[in-house]
Amino acid sequence: MNSPAESSKPDLRGRRVLVVDDDRLNVRILAGILEPEGYTVAQANSGEAALARYEENPPDLVLLDVVMPGINGFETCRELKSRHGGELAPVIFITAKTDSEDVVEGLAAGGVDYLPKPFRAREALARIRVHLQNRLLIEQQRKLVDQLSNANAAKNKLLGMVAHDLRNPLASMRGLAEFLRDDARTGKLTTDQADIVESIHGTTQSMLQMVNELLDAAVIESGEIRINPLPASLSELLATSVTLNNINAAKKGSRIVLKSADLPGPVTMDGPKIRQVVDNLLSNAIKFSPPSSVVTIETAAQAANCTVAVLDQGPGIPAGEEHKLFKDFSRLSVKPTAGEKSTGLGLAICRRIIEAHGGSISAANRRDGGCTFMFSLPMAS
Amino acid sequence: MNFTGKILITDDEAHIRMFLGLVVRRLGQPTVIEATNGQEAVTVYERHRPDLVLLDVNMPVMDGVQALEKIRQADPDAFVVMLTSLTNRQTVEDCARLGAVSYLRKDLPRDELIAQLSQIIAENFQPDDPAPLPPCSAT
Repeated sequence: MNSPAESSKPDLRGRRVLVVDDDRLNVRILAGILEPEGYTVAQANSGEAALARYEENPPDLVLLDVVMPGINGFETCRELKSRHGGELAPVIFITAKTDSEDVVEGLAAGGVDYLPKPFRAREALARIRVHLQNRLLIEQQRKLVDQLSNANAAKNKLLGMVAHDLRNPLASMRGLAEFLRDDARTGKLTTDQADIVESIHGTTQSMLQMVNELLDAAVIESGEIRINPLPASLSELLATSVTLNNINAAKKGSRIVLKSADLPGPVTMDGPKIRQVVDNLLSNAIKFSPPSSVVTIETAAQAANCTVAVLDQGPGIPAGEEHKLFKDFSRLSVKPTAGEKSTGLGLAICRRIIEAHGGSISAANRRDGGCTFMFSLPMAS
Repeated sequence: MNFTGKILITDDEAHIRMFLGLVVRRLGQPTVIEATNGQEAVTVYERHRPDLVLLDVNMPVMDGVQALEKIRQADPDAFVVMLTSLTNRQTVEDCARLGAVSYLRKDLPRDELIAQLSQIIAENFQPDDPAPLPPCSAT
């Protein structure tokens, strides 16, 4: 009768054990121990025969004698390991010697355990069971990892499709609202209608941005991020980004100041993607700084790198949340100061873009308050 | 810019046609005609010979790339600008090879779309003549 604990153990009956020993008596003894437990026993009387047997019908576990004529057990094991690598069934050495040197050599050759002769049935079965169970768990885990990575790929694909299909209608809605805003400006709408249009425009604008971030994340995560680096002026890129982001900053009474943007020469980069990073850092800085703040962006050139730093006047990164900053969908406990939206993807996308350029991105709180986000790029590829 | 030519807007989505219709009206007083798929675009092109075609890439019945090919076969001087939502490099290259003058991302903010389209027209049309210049493939 199985005890409850035993019945919860995986059923190992029918598992194939390859017993390799030039001594037929040993093979018979081991078969006598294993077969009543439901294992299927295959036999080989030399290392060469074991290699052939393994190829014909790979077993779930190998019991391998060390001292045999022809190639010995260690060599056989090394050969099996080199052929099958991580897929190799667990190999347990049968040895009369329990000398630690031998044990070490056996484990180094790719074995997982050893069985001392003369055999004690209960010990042999216990060891075999442990290694078969481990192998079963590894197989299950491998299957699970495969399933998870398939599910993750499907999720990314769905995310990409959804974002892609939402984008055009949102872009049209925003565009159409822009035409109505013109009418509001020229007094063709009532004040209420003008407010409604303004609200539709603002909402579609922020939805479009979120959808774009989702799409970026889906594309980047599916490994399809492609950097198209060309020598370009980082100073010009920063100036353009600052001008455009200042329009939004002004709505909160804040402004962005560009300092020391003199870089010695062009930087090899994917302009639109780096622009996306700069835009993201600047819009975050404005989002998280109180109204009427001054956000500073500055550059510095070292020998092989150039660095861009964005200094905000926000509350900084809460202690213990630093690790969340550049991860997907992670939002910190600090909130935008004027109810702005975020997907929690922006910085994760920035990190991937910068890393794809061979650069790095980081953030740190400043002693005088506020936070500095900084990325560096190699000057030339 | 005062563009008075005939523009064919081809997209399977009505809201995009409506939006682009308003965009092109900011370029002057164009005559705007519409088509909802590539097949329709080819038929409408042959009947109306528009000065400018805005052509979506992904459409039912016949996609934009095929329609571009047929329009350019019917009229080697056809002036076609592709509409894309995401810039797929391969598609853009295919279209350029088939004679599209340029491409526009239809998810751009309105003012950027107006600016880009004005530029494309300014670079390719005589100031007071809505007829297109010969394609500048030699340059």
